[in-house]
Amino acid sequence: MIESKHIDRLRQIAGKENILTSKEELVAYSYDATNLWSHTPDVVVLPADTEQISEILKLANDNQIPVTPRGSGTNVSGGSIPIKGGIVLCTTRMTRILEINKTNLNATVEPGVILQDFNNALAKEGLFFPPDPQSSAGCTMGGVVAENSGGPSCLKYGVTKQYVLGLEVVLADGKIMKIGGLTPKNRTGYELIMLFTGSEGTLGIISKITLRLLPAPKANKTIVAVFGDVAIAGETVSEIIDSGVLPSKIEFVDNWTFEKFQGLLPPEILANAQAILLIEADGLPEIVETEARQIVDICKRSSTLEVRVPQDGEEAQKYWQARTAHFSDISSAAYTIVNEDVCVPRDRIAEFIRISREQARQNDVPLSIAGHAGDGNFHPVVLTDSRDREHFQRALKCVDEIIETALSLGGVLSGEHGIGLEKQRFLKKAMDPVAIDTMKKIKDVLDPNHILNPGKIWEEAPDEE
Amino acid sequence: MKSSTGFEQINRFEDELDKCTKCGFCMSYCPVYQEERVESSVARGKIMLIRALLAGELTATDEMRKQLNKCTLCMTCAQNCPAATQVPSVITAARADGVRQKGLSFPNNIIFRWLLPRRRLFGYVVRIASWFQGIFMPKTKGSTRHLSFFLSALGRGRHIPQIAPKFLRQSVPEINQTPQGVETKYTVGYFTGCMTDFVFPELGMKIISFLTRNGVEVIVPRGQGCCGAPVFLGAGDFDTGRRMADSNVRAFKDLDYIITDCATCASAMKDYAKFLADTSERKRDYADFAAKVKDITEFLVDIVQLPASAYRVAAEYKGKSVTWHEPCHLGRYLGVKDQPRKILKSLADINFIEMPDADRCCGMAGTFSIYFYDLSQKIADRKIADIKSTGADIVVTDCPGCQIQLIDSITRHGLPQQALHIMELLE
Repeated sequence: MIESKHIDRLRQIAGKENILTSKEELVAYSYDATNLWSHTPDVVVLPADTEQISEILKLANDNQIPVTPRGSGTNVSGGSIPIKGGIVLCTTRMTRILEINKTNLNATVEPGVILQDFNNALAKEGLFFPPDPQSSAGCTMGGVVAENSGGPSCLKYGVTKQYVLGLEVVLADGKIMKIGGLTPKNRTGYELIMLFTGSEGTLGIISKITLRLLPAPKANKTIVAVFGDVAIAGETVSEIIDSGVLPSKIEFVDNWTFEKFQGLLPPEILANAQAILLIEADGLPEIVETEARQIVDICKRSSTLEVRVPQDGEEAQKYWQARTAHFSDISSAAYTIVNEDVCVPRDRIAEFIRISREQARQNDVPLSIAGHAGDGNFHPVVLTDSRDREHFQRALKCVDEIIETALSLGGVLSGEHGIGLEKQRFLKKAMDPVAIDTMKKIKDVLDPNHILNPGKIWEEAPDEE
Repeated sequence: MKSSTGFEQINRFEDELDKCTKCGFCMSYCPVYQEERVESSVARGKIMLIRALLAGELTATDEMRKQLNKCTLCMTCAQNCPAATQVPSVITAARADGVRQKGLSFPNNIIFRWLLPRRRLFGYVVRIASWFQGIFMPKTKGSTRHLSFFLSALGRGRHIPQIAPKFLRQSVPEINQTPQGVETKYTVGYFTGCMTDFVFPELGMKIISFLTRNGVEVIVPRGQGCCGAPVFLGAGDFDTGRRMADSNVRAFKDLDYIITDCATCASAMKDYAKFLADTSERKRDYADFAAKVKDITEFLVDIVQLPASAYRVAAEYKGKSVTWHEPCHLGRYLGVKDQPRKILKSLADINFIEMPDADRCCGMAGTFSIYFYDLSQKIADRKIADIKSTGADIVVTDCPGCQIQLIDSITRHGLPQQALHIMELLE
């Protein structure tokens, strides 16, 4: 438990109304969007600026108090859960968009800005920040950078790390460090920005972010392709990319979550369907037209049950909403879900889907697969019930096997969610031991007292605190 | 989730409670969260607090009550929730279980249990309050909190209109026939609501006059009372709410339509069945009653289907530009969105300007604005910015609660705009 004199000090630093200590308020910071973990903090601090963050970290470092950074807590890795208690440092009050510069194609924001609010502000200027995690309505920019977020658009545009130009980071001892800058090119010293992008809050607290932007695409077109065979859907993804077009998104959903497509697609087609691909081409209108035609032709050559192009943006939006609802639909379909985030090389997609489904059959557990098929990033979800020990064990075994499959096909453990708590037990299989050791050494240099987001990414050895 | 004792109402909405997947999408929609930015303010946080309450990890403390009260029930979260979790229903149910466990605190116990259900007595108290209003309004800051519902709002510096010298029910007969030469096509009951009765009686008279001139006979049943919204939705007192619902159902028993000028009253009355029906008779009676309740604009546009020419602007508002604030209870609860806009677009002599985010909560939310006046003001400030951006002379709405909030906020900001009920625009 944190000592009361330290809470008093936090009150001095951030103002008493920004320190939460009631049981009720603490419970509200004990979880994220995962469902297997929770832990209440001793105190929640909501700093207003970089200087306050610095003072908070000095206090924590001097007294070895764990600090778990948090934005909106929409992450799906357990990463923002204060598993060791201590302080939750929540950035949601730091909500200023400091600059949007159309000529420089960049923007500087505080970490608590919600991605959707940022996107709305950019849209007014005709600008575009491509990473689009499905949690965009809630997630904060600090989280987007610290988790190196992805999303559907990353197929064409890449993930967050390709957009971070500059950061201000508060280090564990309270020192404030500025890295990178405002320009798209910058070859000054080590790429320290990359160290903090995706660091999951374990190396420092991101207090200011400068991002590279793009002009918003002038047009886009959605193509909906329905398949009676999951593997054919996977092959079609490869064919589209082989043909030389690069759609902005290729999304895959299987028949577990077709409910939201009812009313959009004919019932007789949905009844026989196993998978749907939602594909989007974007860019200049004439290019979009050409690419969309090419994609439609490829889909038609595959054994599709249906290929359609929504009339307008409004109609297309309905299909995309059905896709976005996947997570909540699948979550409500079972008491417990285990949601994974593997990536496989694109030419192994069909194989991955086939083997995973076979593994689910052998373990006798329901499996739903959805994901960003275009870049080989899948979210296999095993539906289970953590109260039913035997079923839950089978579910976990199936998850292990699916991850092994992805790794054996040349894939990775996590495409966009991060390791946090949920994927720690796989890290040793998924990462070179020398690399894990190097990460730990970097951690020791930057955070020698291990106060920042302790207990995350790698499993602690039994003797480790 | 397992049913737990002491949480009878929450247990009724267990399915809703289970739906939330903690995805956090509500963050960018919740008006309270947008001001406070703390997790216990947002829908997901409240769902998690209620789950912890059921699991026995938390208890019904004052802090818990405060967190549960800190919601405008605006429904924006539910509308945007990918799982369609009906968070406002769960929160209302949790408030009710809290009241059952701990009772209402002073002065709400007096106001809600004893005063609001007694319409005439309530009228006298409001009248007395109106005498104090003149004395206290200029200088009070918190000193009149225990006097009455109205004064407690006033006590924090809120600018609310004077209580009317003569209430609506004292000013109009029970039966208001169509004028000679106008055929009676409909007979409706007019549910006047507390605000129109006590604060805006001239609005009520205008509505009666407009309806009768357009072939609608208007009955103002004397047995009607408060809709019960502050009692069962705001404070979670379902027992008193049920008494009020029963007397309203009795008062309007023989009428085909019940029209209101207050979206909150209308949706609260439509919610009797959902929250208050404890027997199969009540379930049936409340459902029948709900089917008859129509918002005034909905009634005029969908039922009477008046032609555009029937809507004429009162002389004093001719040539003005007008914008529209959509009450949460009208748009999200009743689904009435196009009807008021249709009326506004029919008016030849005004310039109608749609404001950005017209359906964003104004922050009034009845008792919410009394418990959390500062927060309520902050939410209203965003509405004010949207109103300002239109440059309109007048903002109209369809809920006297919203109207009071708009008047208060406009005055606070020293703006020139007038805040009116949409029906006040009409001749």
